Amino acid sequence: MKTPSAERFRKYTSDEVFDRIRNYDSVSAMWKAILPGYAGATAISDNGENYSFAKLEEDAASFRPLVSGLPGDRIGILIPNSYSFVKVYLAVVTAGKTAVILPPQLPPEAVFGIGMKFGLSALVYDAATAEKTALLAARAPQVALISDVEASDSPAPAADVPGDAPCVVMFTGGTTGKSKGAVLSNRAVMRGTVNGCYGIKEIFGQRYLLVLPFSHVFGLIRNLMTSLYTGSALFINRNSKDLFRDIAVFRPTFLVVVPALAEMALTLSKKFGKNMLGPDMKTIICGAAAVPPYLIREYAAMGIDLLAGYGLTESANLVSGNPESLRKPESVGLMYPGQEYRIEDGELWLKGENMMDGYIGEDDSSSEDGWFRTGDLVKIDDEGFLYITGRTKEIIILPNGENVSPAEVEAEFSALPLVQDCELYEDKAENGTPILVLEVLPRMTELGKLPEAERSARLAADIAAVNASLPSYKRFNRLVVRDSDFPRTPSMKILRHARYAK
Amino acid sequence: MQREEITEKLKEILLLTDVDRSLMEGDISALRLKEDCGLSSVGMLYTVIGIEEMFGIRFENVGLEDFVTVKDVIDYIGAKTE
Repeated sequence: MKTPSAERFRKYTSDEVFDRIRNYDSVSAMWKAILPGYAGATAISDNGENYSFAKLEEDAASFRPLVSGLPGDRIGILIPNSYSFVKVYLAVVTAGKTAVILPPQLPPEAVFGIGMKFGLSALVYDAATAEKTALLAARAPQVALISDVEASDSPAPAADVPGDAPCVVMFTGGTTGKSKGAVLSNRAVMRGTVNGCYGIKEIFGQRYLLVLPFSHVFGLIRNLMTSLYTGSALFINRNSKDLFRDIAVFRPTFLVVVPALAEMALTLSKKFGKNMLGPDMKTIICGAAAVPPYLIREYAAMGIDLLAGYGLTESANLVSGNPESLRKPESVGLMYPGQEYRIEDGELWLKGENMMDGYIGEDDSSSEDGWFRTGDLVKIDDEGFLYITGRTKEIIILPNGENVSPAEVEAEFSALPLVQDCELYEDKAENGTPILVLEVLPRMTELGKLPEAERSARLAADIAAVNASLPSYKRFNRLVVRDSDFPRTPSMKILRHARYAK
Repeated sequence: MQREEITEKLKEILLLTDVDRSLMEGDISALRLKEDCGLSSVGMLYTVIGIEEMFGIRFENVGLEDFVTVKDVIDYIGAKTE
């Protein structure tokens, strides 16, 4: 068992910056402590408006009374990335309640299901998501529905919130691929927030451009929370197609992205012969999927530090960060403080104040004696740098950070009468971009009933219809129809592609 | 701008994405963006931003998902650059 210390991050910044980084027990305690120092500075820039830290507190104060008196602690938030989300989230957690952050793209049935399963006291929605609450309103009248624009005439200050009070519930594919709600305490969220400051030259007073969803820990903790904590300004990019236009206007210094986006910005910069990330960009934090080393080198040549990191929803986002990406481009960095780790049969196990309290309403098969089994196979070099070498779980992690469980997607296609068996796997397109491939073995007994001329068209049409019904990141890009059976294991399971293609 | 010129430049952009290389040889106008080119969401984003940058135009009130074939995109760019 090892306990990493914060001190070894000291050398990557000035003593002045390093000594300014201090932890708080709860989001509320942090917010109350930092507010006087940053009151007039811009906290959020969204939709053409700038909101100062003082204005954000003023708006949060008017929202707190709407949730603080409710019975029960769990308040659902169904709001896309916006200033309004930040106001509601901050109001909820600094009122001592738990913010259950629903991905705004969820269908109404899922919103209803989560409302029931998680025992929400209330659900806060905005104009964009209002119509998704109808089912909940009709069938679960005990869940109060609150519009984001409601405000109380008697504002309430941030409450004193203990560190072990649950702060947020975040959705995750977990280590098995099934969607679960992970409960993170105030202490865990603050540990993640503060750890995000280590190993970076300039961290206070930055200009962040937000492209990640707040419903993901990488967007909520590493973007929003660390940005607030460091007195930085966060510009909300509402539509990714406006990304580079927003960059030209806001001139960010700091970007937190998945590798696919960093790669896109680089490819387009080269294609059009200009730095698409703007003249002020200094630091890119890259994670949620493996970072190709060439990205680190190419960005270094442009004068931009691209720092890889590693984390999980269950660990309040951050486990390690690499302050020396250029020297050790294959590594995900040094383990952050506030956690203990051990390596069992190559698998990384974690414990500490950054770890979740558990999943809501689910057995937590990934924990053992208080240790969380990450499912990631790792090694650590003699300087303490961590490397991910593989996974014990069958999950495909796309370059945009989305996790796809092949079994879950395959089940959708296997339900088709014309499909006997199928396998979803990751492959590379001609330019090296990872793509999803679905390989299908037709059910000849069913297919044979159709006129021969119609067979392949029917099969393709049925498969295309299922593909179109999936969330876009789970859709395959290529289809391969087999004319013979899959290679199989002795127990007749498909010998999965990853194992024999290598 | 000439249709041929638009087509060639669009090909350059599509080649930045995850599109199947072999599809880009010969006439691309009849290809469907999603079904034939198999563009992922990131691929779509590349294409939109690439087109806007390359042709100095802006997609207004339309997204790439509103176009079915490459020809539709060429028509749109043609109208915008007239």
